[in-house]
Amino acid sequence: MIKLSHVNKRYPNGHEALKDVSFDLASGEMAFLAGHSGAGKSTLFKLITRIEKPTSGQIIVDSQNLSRMRPSKVPALRREIGVIFQDHKLLFDRSVFDNVALPLIVIGMPHDEIKKRVRAALGKVGLAGKEKQLPITLSGGEQQRVGIARAVINRPNILLADEPTGNLDESLSNEIIDIFSDFNRVGVTVLIATHDIRQVERLGKRTLQLRDGELVHDGELIDTPQADSSSEEASL
Amino acid sequence: MSAYFSRHLQVLFSTLGSMRRTPMATINTLLVIAITLLLPSLLYVTLKSAQSLSSNWQGRPQISIFLQKSSSDSTAQLIFEEVQLHPSIELAEFVTPDQALAEYRLLSDNNSSLEQELAFLGENPLPASIVVMPDRASAKPENLIALKEELSNFDGIESVRLDLDWTERFNAMLQVFSRVSVLLSALLGLGLVLIVGNTIKLLIFNRRDEIEITKLVGGTDAFVRRPFLYYGALFGFLGACISLSFLLLAASLVEEPISRLADLYNVNALVHQVNLVEILTVLLIGTLLGWLAARWSVAMHLREIQPR
Ligand SMILES: Nc1ncnc2c1ncn2[C@@H]1O[C@H](COP(=O)(O)OP(=O)(O)OP(=O)(O)O)[C@@H](O)[C@H]1O
Ligand SMILES: [Mg+2]
Repeated sequence: MIKLSHVNKRYPNGHEALKDVSFDLASGEMAFLAGHSGAGKSTLFKLITRIEKPTSGQIIVDSQNLSRMRPSKVPALRREIGVIFQDHKLLFDRSVFDNVALPLIVIGMPHDEIKKRVRAALGKVGLAGKEKQLPITLSGGEQQRVGIARAVINRPNILLADEPTGNLDESLSNEIIDIFSDFNRVGVTVLIATHDIRQVERLGKRTLQLRDGELVHDGELIDTPQADSSSEEASL
Repeated sequence: MSAYFSRHLQVLFSTLGSMRRTPMATINTLLVIAITLLLPSLLYVTLKSAQSLSSNWQGRPQISIFLQKSSSDSTAQLIFEEVQLHPSIELAEFVTPDQALAEYRLLSDNNSSLEQELAFLGENPLPASIVVMPDRASAKPENLIALKEELSNFDGIESVRLDLDWTERFNAMLQVFSRVSVLLSALLGLGLVLIVGNTIKLLIFNRRDEIEITKLVGGTDAFVRRPFLYYGALFGFLGACISLSFLLLAASLVEEPISRLADLYNVNALVHQVNLVEILTVLLIGTLLGWLAARWSVAMHLREIQPR
């Protein structure tokens, strides 16, 4: 579903955010993306959603080669991917309802259908009844959940979550990660970037570990050699 | 299809809604547009009124042919017949020296000094003349000049004078005026596009976050562009509405003084009454220019805003 081959990303300022990264995430697979702050996790997500282009290497998402993708096809790609952004990217002058509904509005879904789906999505992330509120009146964790509801509202094939549990306490984190697991169970490909080692251990899923832009580990975290594992855990 | 319409209606109303949320800025923009559109409309109405003034005028150019003072009555008669038979001449009238004098007396205010001069001269100094009205086909200035040349070559003719009717001169002036108006209107139209374009540019940058996020969740360029195109078209349309009401107000304000002025000059002057087609044209032009401006602005600036 998501395949990277020898991907390099150098930002205009010369910083090498990703170095020769290759992995293949199968359709319906769920994995974690781990790594210290600045390791390149968000950069990787920006490449997959074509917010940024790789300096070299090939990215294939749902059998579409992103390097050959015309700009007019980018919206269709992004509709296929639900993204939870690290900085939430909410519209602060719009209600929770409008924020969550946006992916449906851009595809021109009828209003009644939008209403139903937004209610359901907000219920799922525990924000039922907060439709009319402005995001500014919500707590950090609640804002994060608005972002989650927006990411899943269009029933995407791929879910990318960048620190989705950063502002949540443990029980809420479990709940949210379990929501992603539920989506994964019905066939959605899920990739979660996180510092939250507890979640990685709790689920025991495949983990892609980045260090200074390099992919240093690919597999279940328990499999890593003892010395390396402890040093990684410390920096996670 | 109905989904398509309801989507557009929704954009229309949400655009009206956001205009209402910033009333001062909106009113400012609308007034600027209205005034920019008002000037060409005023020029047009003035031109139309002036044209109706000249077309109500019944006159046509005249040629006066003065015969040599020495020619006898019979030669004069011969020349008159020859002129009458000329194919380009519709009407010819013979004016004897006595008739000419009588007419001169009638037109002259200061009779006593005229009589004194006549008495001094001892005889009627005026020659016989023929006043000629060319047919319509020959009423164009270049044809008239050719005709005048031709007549000058006749035997027994002293001189020929061409009276280009004042309507000709007036119409020629109107033509200059209308050219200048067209040029001015085009410039104002360009100014309007720049003004609206700049307003739309500000709107685009004010809504930067919204545009970025919309693109992030898969909004197409067309979707992102649509509200701004509506903004431009609505600005143009509402501006044109205000402009029209100014125009009607201005027309009603000058109507009375103009008719009083016209009475004084004994002419039939009317302020041109704006008709429905003209109203619709102004609305259409306003809407179109606004839309064009938005189109241009969006093409210039929307590409700069990409998600980060
Ligand atoms: N637009 C940019 N221009 C230049 N450098 C950038 C840009 N975006 C990110 N970087 C750099 O690239 C590196 C990777 O950034 P990235 O945001 O991918 O890290 P991350 O793994 O998501 O970190 P965190 O866990 O803190 O979110 C960082 O060193 C960052 O400074
Ligand atoms: Mg990040």
